[in-house]
Amino acid sequence: MNRVLTLAAYNVRILLSERTWFVLAWALFGLQIAVYGSLMSKLVSTTVPNYLFFYGVGLMVITVFDSGADVGRHFVEHAHEGELPYFLSLPVSRGGFLAAQAIYGVANTMIKVLPPLIGVLWFVGDLTVQGAVFALISMFLLGLGITGIMVSMSFIAFKSVDIYSAFLAGLSALIVRFSTVFYPLIFMPSFYSPISVFSPLTYGADLTRWVLGFDSNFLINPIFAAAVVTGVAVGTLSLSARIVDKVIEGVKAA
Amino acid sequence: METLDLSKRYGKTDALRGLNFTVNEGEIMVILGPNGSGKTTLLMILCTILKPTSGTAKVVGIDVVEEGTKVREVMGIAFQEARGFWRHKPSSILRFHASMFDIDPAKRQDLIERTMKDLELWESRDKMFMHLSGGQAKRLETAKVLIQQPKLAIFDEPTSQVDLRGKRKIWDKIRELRDQGSTIIVATNEVREAEYLADRVTILHQGQRIVCDTIPKLKDAIAGGDIVEVDFEDPVSRKLVDDLNGLGGDVSLSSEGNQLRAKVSRAEDWVPKMTSASYIAGAKIASIRITEPSLDDVFLHFTGKALVDQP
Repeated sequence: MNRVLTLAAYNVRILLSERTWFVLAWALFGLQIAVYGSLMSKLVSTTVPNYLFFYGVGLMVITVFDSGADVGRHFVEHAHEGELPYFLSLPVSRGGFLAAQAIYGVANTMIKVLPPLIGVLWFVGDLTVQGAVFALISMFLLGLGITGIMVSMSFIAFKSVDIYSAFLAGLSALIVRFSTVFYPLIFMPSFYSPISVFSPLTYGADLTRWVLGFDSNFLINPIFAAAVVTGVAVGTLSLSARIVDKVIEGVKAA
Repeated sequence: METLDLSKRYGKTDALRGLNFTVNEGEIMVILGPNGSGKTTLLMILCTILKPTSGTAKVVGIDVVEEGTKVREVMGIAFQEARGFWRHKPSSILRFHASMFDIDPAKRQDLIERTMKDLELWESRDKMFMHLSGGQAKRLETAKVLIQQPKLAIFDEPTSQVDLRGKRKIWDKIRELRDQGSTIIVATNEVREAEYLADRVTILHQGQRIVCDTIPKLKDAIAGGDIVEVDFEDPVSRKLVDDLNGLGGDVSLSSEGNQLRAKVSRAEDWVPKMTSASYIAGAKIASIRITEPSLDDVFLHFTGKALVDQP
């Protein structure tokens, strides 16, 4: 366990050395909320009360998704820059290696999401410690699920990075667009909503909104959403652990 | 360390084919083979990065597939290509490595400093990895294993890209590591490296073990034993070659232009007879060189192919 934490700490130190990216991410978030979010809110607030809040949570969930995708990319970069064989030669189990990646992912997500979360809650006048903590837990679970999906898919990159990048772009577009990050499920047209229920972001976004006290009439059942988010996290992390253990090899050399 | 019928297949390519291979405790085993012979694949399986297609491999009696983490606790590897942490400094890379292998924190800094000085890396300790030269990066790769002092140390072409002085330093440190009790495997296609380091040599060719023994025994296995190269002032005639073949003994002659090359069992017996016969035949000798067969010759003898492709 000590070695897993050492490995995770090493990755987190790399993360913390990239402060500029965090500042840019927060600035982009603020800009998006201030301009697009507030404009959209004025347009739709007659049907969805406090759409700015709804939008803000959706934007945070997208940030969580991007952070999870970052972990997958980080993993693939390890392989292609030659670090993966080194990490696989260290005295940690493959599961431990994956856990270190997950810790890195969680740190990445929390750093990117925490300031926007506090900002949004403060802006809408709903900032409480309890709300922030539960929202973080919800997004943390979602982040683990996304990380699991991305690491599970990373074996594609061992065949071709180009295919992996194209696959990731396509998957991101589908998972984000066909979800409730920006639109409540009840307002979606019938040809659109059945697809949305397959996106984990739908459940992560609605669960986070529910723990923050958003009107539950616009959301998926929170117990069902919590079960799906937890199930996706456990399922995809188990799958990725198996893939890392059984399938992925650090190098192919003759 | 032993492998039993170890095979590794990539698609339709067999990188290792039923390899049986043993390394004794406390020895330096050099695996000699050209590029593509399966050296790196073997090492990657031993350090649990690759999984064998079939067969078994054990390190200190521990199965590399069943108990990979335990194997990794007792072994260290210096990769063929230095593995990059592009924006990290050599000193922090070594500190991380030392912490992963539970090197006593009280001794860690001294050990790292000493090793970096020994390998002439100390001046570069605060450079980014990406700014190191190829040779420095390779020495850093070696330094990781040296600070770790593992039971089994693996070096994959440890001195490629390293200058002559650096090579000697790395070789001496590898021998020192052996003297401190580590068992060592070195994969190389450099004959000089093999000759300097090996307690025993395994020749690997097309994924198979061709032969394994000490260097003197491998050289003795070649017909002859000594190589005599004679430069004449004029082209070597057919008649002279016939005369020298008639001198008797175990001799194999080849000539090209002014040069004659003979593999003989005892040069000290054959050379006086050869000089007399040349004098009688009127062939003037310009120079004589007597050498042992090299590992190149050994490789050629056992595989029928040169170790390094001739230009």
